[in-house]
Amino acid sequence: MASKTTAVRTGSVNVPYGHIIGSEKWKGSQIAQGIQGKVKLILEDGLGVVDFHLSNRSCVLYISEADLVAGNGFKRRLACFRNAFNLQGIVIVEKTPISDQYFPAVQKFVVLELGMTLLPVANQGEAAQLIIQLLCEQMKDRSSNLFLTKKPPKLLEASVFQTVQQIPGVGKTKALLLLQHFGNLHLLCNASVPELEGVVGQSLAQQIHAFFTQTK
Amino acid sequence: HMSAPASSSLATRLFSGSLKNENALCILADSREIASGPDVISTLKAVHGIKVQVCSLGGCDYIVSNRLAVERKCQAELLSYGHRSKVAQKVQQMKSKFDRICIIVEKERLKAGDTKRVFHRTKQYDGILSAFIRSGIRVLFSSCQEETADLLKELALVEQRKKVAIAVPTEVERHKQDVLRFYLSIPSVGYPLALALCHSFTSIKEVANSSPDKIAACTQVSQQKAEEVYQYLHYGFDAQMLPETIP
Repeated sequence: MASKTTAVRTGSVNVPYGHIIGSEKWKGSQIAQGIQGKVKLILEDGLGVVDFHLSNRSCVLYISEADLVAGNGFKRRLACFRNAFNLQGIVIVEKTPISDQYFPAVQKFVVLELGMTLLPVANQGEAAQLIIQLLCEQMKDRSSNLFLTKKPPKLLEASVFQTVQQIPGVGKTKALLLLQHFGNLHLLCNASVPELEGVVGQSLAQQIHAFFTQTK
Repeated sequence: HMSAPASSSLATRLFSGSLKNENALCILADSREIASGPDVISTLKAVHGIKVQVCSLGGCDYIVSNRLAVERKCQAELLSYGHRSKVAQKVQQMKSKFDRICIIVEKERLKAGDTKRVFHRTKQYDGILSAFIRSGIRVLFSSCQEETADLLKELALVEQRKKVAIAVPTEVERHKQDVLRFYLSIPSVGYPLALALCHSFTSIKEVANSSPDKIAACTQVSQQKAEEVYQYLHYGFDAQMLPETIP
C-alpha cells in the first residue's frame, strides 16, 4: 500500500493492479461515487498535487470549473507536478459554459508548454467514466491497443513495384522486367544505358538513365 | 480551385522574397482540406501570415514540421464504434511516415436551421481518447476551424523552436515533379522528407548510393528513418512474393 508521505516527495505511489488511488479530498464526491461502482477506489491523504493515481506510471490531475474561474493557481500546481514527478500526468479539466472561455489558454499551457495531456469533461460524472476508460486502457496488453499494434513484417514487393512505375515511361510490364533483371532499386539506379538496353528498348533505357542521374 | 492557393503562395514568395526569411513558418495542407477545412487554411494565411502550401499529402491533413503530422477529426466520428477501424488504419499509415502524430478533435459546425446539437459522450469516445494517449498520440480539442488554425500555428511554432521546422522550399520545379513522386512512393517517406531528398541531393542515383548516415545528415531525419529508406533501396525484389492483386 502507498506510503503516507506526500507523493511529491516519494515520486510515485504503489498502485495495486486494477485499482485507483485517490486523494482523500474526493470522499463522497460524485466522481468518487462514479468510480466506486466499477473499479476499486482507495482514498488516501497525502497525495500532494495529484488527484488520482491510475498506475505506478500515470496519474490524473483534476481542474474544476471553480479552479479555472479563480485564476492561475492551477498553473502553479501543474508546474509543481511537472517539476517533481517523472510520471505521465493526465489533466482533466471541467469545460462548462462558464469555464469555456478559459479553455483555449489552458490547453496551450498544459499541452504545448508543459507537454502534458489534457482532456475536457462537462462534469464529474463524465470525469468518472473517463477515468475508468483510462484505467481499462492501461490494464490492457499493449498489443491490444488500436494504435500500437505492430503489423507483421510486411513484404515490400508491392511497394517496390509501385516505386519503379513512378519512372516516366515505365508501366507494369517494364517495371517487372527491370526488377527481375536488376533485383533491387539500388542496382537499378546504378545501371548503365547499355545494361538497361538489355532489358528495355534503347530510347526508354536512355530515359530511365536520365531520370536517375539528372542533376538540379 | 485547387491551383489557386498554390499559385498565390508562389507569387507571394517570389515578390516578398520570404524564401530567404528562415523564420517564416510553413505548413503543408492536403488538397482535400480546401473543401473540408477552408476556414482553417484561410485563417492560417490571413490571420497568422503563415505560408500554407497545398499539395496532395495522401494520408494526413496537415504537416507542421519534418516529423509532425496532424489529422483533423470531427467529434462525431469518435463517438461511435463504426469509425474505429478507419481511424486506426489512418493512424497506422501516418505512423509509418511520421515520428509524431497529433489529432485535433474539432466540434462540427452547425448547419443552417440545425438546432443546437447536444453532445452525448459515449464510452467509445472515452475509449478511443484513452487509446490515443496510451500510444503517445497527442490530442488537442478545438471548437471551430479558426481555433484549429490557431492550434496548428502553435504546434508549428513549438516545432520551430525545437529546430525541426520545414526549412526546404516546398515547391518543386516541374521537371523534378516525377522525382518527388518517386520518393513519395517509398512507404516510410513523408512529404517533408521527399522534399528534402529532392532539394538536398543532386539525383536519385546519389540518394541510392548514400549511407544511412549521409541521408540522415542531409535531410535532418532520424537515423532510424534514414535506415528504413536505405533498407528499402536495397530490398531484394522477388517476383514470386508479389501479391496477386496488385494495388
